[in-house]
Amino acid sequence: MLKRLEIRLKPQLNDAEGEGLRKKAKAYFGMVIDEVRTIHIVTLDADLSDEQLMTIQRELFTNPVTQESSFEPLDTDFDWCLWVGFRPGVRDNPGSTAVEAIEDILGQKFKSHEAVYTSKRYCITGKNLTEKDAHTLAGELLANDIIQQWKVFSRESWDPLTGVGFNVSKVLLDHSPTVSTIPVESDEGLRKISFERSLALNAKDIPVIRGYFCRDEVLSERARVGLTDPTDVELEYISQSRSDHCNHNTFQGIFRYTDIETGQVVIEDNLFKTYIKEPTLLLKDRKDWVVSVLWDNAGIGRFDDENNYVITGETHNSPSNMEAYGGAITGIVGVYRDPLGTGLGSRLVMGSYGFCVADRDYDGELKPRLHPRRLLDGVIEGVKDGGNKSGIPTPFGQIYFDKGYLGKSLVFVTALGIMPAKVKGKPSHEKKTSPGDLIIMCGGRVGKDGIHGVTASSEVFSEHTPAGHVQIGDPYTQKKMHDFILEARDEGLIEFITDNGGGGLSSSIGESAEISNGCHVQLDKVPLKYDGLDQWEIWISESQERMTVVVRPCHLDRFMALSGKHAVESSVIGEYTDSGKLHISYHGKTCAYVNMDLLSEGFPQWEFEARWQTPEMRGLVEPVLGEPENYNDLLLDLMDRPNMCSKEWVIRQYDHEVQGSSVIKPLVGKERDVTSDASVIKPVLGSEKGLAFSQALLPSYSAIDAYHMTACTIDEAVRRLISVGADPEQIGGVDNFCWPDIQYHPVNNPDGMFKAAQLVRSCRALKDMCMAYEIPLLSGKDSMYVDGHLKGRYGQTQKVSARETMQFSASAVVKDINACVTMDAKMEGDLIYLIGETSDHLGASEYYEHLGCTGANVPCVKASHYMPRYRALARAMEKGLVASAHGVYRGGLAVHLALVSMAGCLGMTVDLSQVIWEGHEDKLRNDRILFSETPGRLIVTVPPEHKSVFEKLFSGMALKMIGQVRSSLDPLLITGMNGKQCVLLLPGDLKKSWKKRFGDVI
Amino acid sequence: MNDVKVLVLTGYGLNCDHETAYAFELAGAVATRVHINSLIDGSQTLSDYHILVFGGGFSWGDDHGAGVVQAVRLKTHIGSTLKDFINKGNLILGICNGFQTLVNMGLLPGFDGDYQTRRVALTYNDCGNFRDDWVTLKVNSKCPCVFTKGMDILEYPIRHGEGKFYAEPKEIETLVSNNQVAIRYAMADGTRAMGKFPENPNGSVDDIAGICDSTGRVFGLMPHPEAFNHPTNHPTWTRTCDQARRMGEDATTRAQDTLGIRLFRNGVDYIRNRGL
Repeated sequence: MLKRLEIRLKPQLNDAEGEGLRKKAKAYFGMVIDEVRTIHIVTLDADLSDEQLMTIQRELFTNPVTQESSFEPLDTDFDWCLWVGFRPGVRDNPGSTAVEAIEDILGQKFKSHEAVYTSKRYCITGKNLTEKDAHTLAGELLANDIIQQWKVFSRESWDPLTGVGFNVSKVLLDHSPTVSTIPVESDEGLRKISFERSLALNAKDIPVIRGYFCRDEVLSERARVGLTDPTDVELEYISQSRSDHCNHNTFQGIFRYTDIETGQVVIEDNLFKTYIKEPTLLLKDRKDWVVSVLWDNAGIGRFDDENNYVITGETHNSPSNMEAYGGAITGIVGVYRDPLGTGLGSRLVMGSYGFCVADRDYDGELKPRLHPRRLLDGVIEGVKDGGNKSGIPTPFGQIYFDKGYLGKSLVFVTALGIMPAKVKGKPSHEKKTSPGDLIIMCGGRVGKDGIHGVTASSEVFSEHTPAGHVQIGDPYTQKKMHDFILEARDEGLIEFITDNGGGGLSSSIGESAEISNGCHVQLDKVPLKYDGLDQWEIWISESQERMTVVVRPCHLDRFMALSGKHAVESSVIGEYTDSGKLHISYHGKTCAYVNMDLLSEGFPQWEFEARWQTPEMRGLVEPVLGEPENYNDLLLDLMDRPNMCSKEWVIRQYDHEVQGSSVIKPLVGKERDVTSDASVIKPVLGSEKGLAFSQALLPSYSAIDAYHMTACTIDEAVRRLISVGADPEQIGGVDNFCWPDIQYHPVNNPDGMFKAAQLVRSCRALKDMCMAYEIPLLSGKDSMYVDGHLKGRYGQTQKVSARETMQFSASAVVKDINACVTMDAKMEGDLIYLIGETSDHLGASEYYEHLGCTGANVPCVKASHYMPRYRALARAMEKGLVASAHGVYRGGLAVHLALVSMAGCLGMTVDLSQVIWEGHEDKLRNDRILFSETPGRLIVTVPPEHKSVFEKLFSGMALKMIGQVRSSLDPLLITGMNGKQCVLLLPGDLKKSWKKRFGDVI
Repeated sequence: MNDVKVLVLTGYGLNCDHETAYAFELAGAVATRVHINSLIDGSQTLSDYHILVFGGGFSWGDDHGAGVVQAVRLKTHIGSTLKDFINKGNLILGICNGFQTLVNMGLLPGFDGDYQTRRVALTYNDCGNFRDDWVTLKVNSKCPCVFTKGMDILEYPIRHGEGKFYAEPKEIETLVSNNQVAIRYAMADGTRAMGKFPENPNGSVDDIAGICDSTGRVFGLMPHPEAFNHPTNHPTWTRTCDQARRMGEDATTRAQDTLGIRLFRNGVDYIRNRGL
């Protein structure tokens, strides 16, 4: 029986959702709409009596104070009515919570064929709206055809009796699960099948795979379990494990690096090993706070004697470009499973975001799947729901606009957790699987969703990218599982735990079985969302919110009881063995039987040709610019630039203080509205220790040299931490590379060799910086193929590649949170110091970008000079000498002085002739001092009484007093080299300019 | 035992349970996080506690109106136990999602001892989105609310998408005339916000941020006092700390409760003074 309940707000109440749609229609498409009223629709596909229907209508779905509802279509006036619902198989979170609630209130369970579906219709009034407008609203604002379907009704076509009709998006698969075998007679044949089945097997892997399955002893072993040619389950397993996403083939590849200028050739064998693993292991020995790195789902550092913290970073680019909301929420909820699956499980304590998108107002002729503005709206909302509904604060994040991300936008997500150092007396960071241990799948069920997600993210985005890997994360289901797992952990029930992310069970069980050296999995025991999945689909499905937990048989009863208490589904689906075999069966019949060490079978390394051409060889030179005359307007315009201006609209949508642990918030200052350098949380509530976190992202420097891009990014992340009072001796890092395709192809990727050289250089900088600053890499991630082929005006496609991008996250313990410092000027009369020298580093600066130039003088880090000054500043903060501290980042000195002044709502006088200039005297010019982006610099304000003690701490270092803080009535007054006034602006006017771009966006 | 015992609900996606329990501990109580199902299946007994807390966060994803599903589940399974709990003179506190749950169960406003009828609602913010910001609150000194006793101006964070307090004018009048409005959104100086955004962050009618029942023992509020459990939680603490340092005061003195902990201590003290 189908019943459709329509629910609306009472007419006297403001419909905030409808109002949001009205505003967006105006802002995005210039459409004039009078009003939008939203109607929520709950479609019940269940056998319920009239009395039961009335009960759920009254108790669950209608708030008598604010809402009205009816099982008949509600009579709401409109010119156009848009109905939007999910496509079959798309996760309908409200639908499933509705089932839980109905079962609870009625005291009866839904039968397997019964379900609840939610959808909405929007009643729009606007006299001049056309049918085309209605479709634009539906297709461009309300629905994404990958996951949703819509219908448009005009006043005339609306039948008040039938309304939107009955829309049941039930998945019906008329299919009996089948294992098929794949012949391996020839490389060519296997290659063909790999392509047809979207296996994405690397061409060079194919002979190795064939070699294994054709070997005599393998054949005879397989014959004993009834297998001959490889099954689809087996090939899918190999494909997942060998994908770039899981196996990091790029970073483990061989690069032949040629410096074209010198002709020198260097063979770089395994970037990961040389530039990430080796320095991190070296530093692990030096830094006793490093607990666990390089093997688990996330790295572990010591927080205090009783607790360790966990950190990792991820990207979720490809899915977010298909479906922004779904991709982003799946990304953030997904990265939260990493700390949960690290060691014996950690409690999530914070998350962060990074969005790289093209211009929000892009009006060019290339057609990305989603307009950047729509994509940004979607990813912002996805991270909002994913973080807020998980009860995890999101106190840091960055948004970066560049046209290169039109081809593929980037969604970075980072997660931190905390865990007791010991569980039941045993170190919590150690775990293993042993023969006889049970494999348990916890959390969500398995459906067709996410199949081939991993292989899709290892490919360039095109119109053929399968849409099936787009999912919608379910923070509610995961939060229940999170609470359950932590309770089970504390009772000592967990032997091993890992998450089901990319590659699904195939990855989580495949990898964990390497420890015990074998497993036997019964796929028929895996709970499914609906019948009809093939065995290989069950094995590699990436359905979300699942963990693989390993429990000894003696603990099973208690584990299942706790699972029941938390309303989490858990199922035993197999056990670990020491057979040396990955053994998978379905209803007793073997469908996979391969050696555990198959993956160390001698698969060939990927090979890359890398050719470096210096900026000079590429024709990059400094632009010929005369000195500006109007610095006031220039500074105001810089403050307003998309990458400089206030993002308060995003920050306030994210709950940044749940868990009661907030110490330094994302917005600080007198009026609590200027962006902080870093965030600090207090993850152990009773402790006075804190955890500082920051991120940096400077892809524009890659236009000149990715080595310096990387070095500057790391320096910025570190300075951000130092600015709030983090301990410079305990900094951990997370590298997150997002690179365009580096495999050279004369037609498809003609500049691939250069991009490969940029990657090598970036890795070199990573190691140099980590060694200089003593930063072990606690975790890391790489996403290649940040390219897109977009359709243009004439139907041609055009490849758009992003700049080589590395996001660097840094975390560090704060010894005493009470000594933390914020960036806002505090008091009139305080002295303003600039730490560090300034050089002609305007290449790829915000200033040059603003003027449409690139230049060549990219900022260079002098790490050995910088670390001593960071240590000195940390000491000054410990002694309480510092009133405010703020790094000089993108935009240069002028922009960052303005921020300090604005945040404190205090004027400042600054004398540029006091700034330490390093370089030719003839280069010395006001605009270069004001807008150079030389790293290693910080603006610090100090009460005059601490002058001498403060300066003494910096003896022998580049430190100069450059001005003084003035009163709240005074302007920011910057005097130039010639002694003449250069900038004269009130802090309030600066702030106005800084806020105006996104000021009225909600 | 002379402990004031607090039960903080957990489970089904609820959050804020750890810090709420912690805040009550700082306020001198013994706080236990208890799963909703443990209360329903009887493995935990409500009558063993003096204060019941419906904490903040999301329950059941809040997909069908914040706090609705939680309200139904508790009403269905332990509705009568809750009534007994109140009638015995105990305290119930609902914060954010907990406040939403209390009004959906009808425990608030509880006119004339009617703890069943839904008369008020917390609906979507007028600003159209979830919002995290600190607000200033003015306490109604005539209100019988146990938790806000002796307090005047408060500062707590709000973090919600559905926090607009709404009811029919006659219900608002009753609330006001009964002095059941405990706290209102205010300007920094404590004067009424008069609906001004962002001081009134959600468009709440009459600037209402929290109400209690006529006994003052059942209290719900949208802002999060538990998120002000330490001086460094305050958004401008580095500024006040800097000033204190210049005055020669020890900036790290922790002798005084934060405004958040004071609210919880009021509840704990009430139980202690009443006699356990």
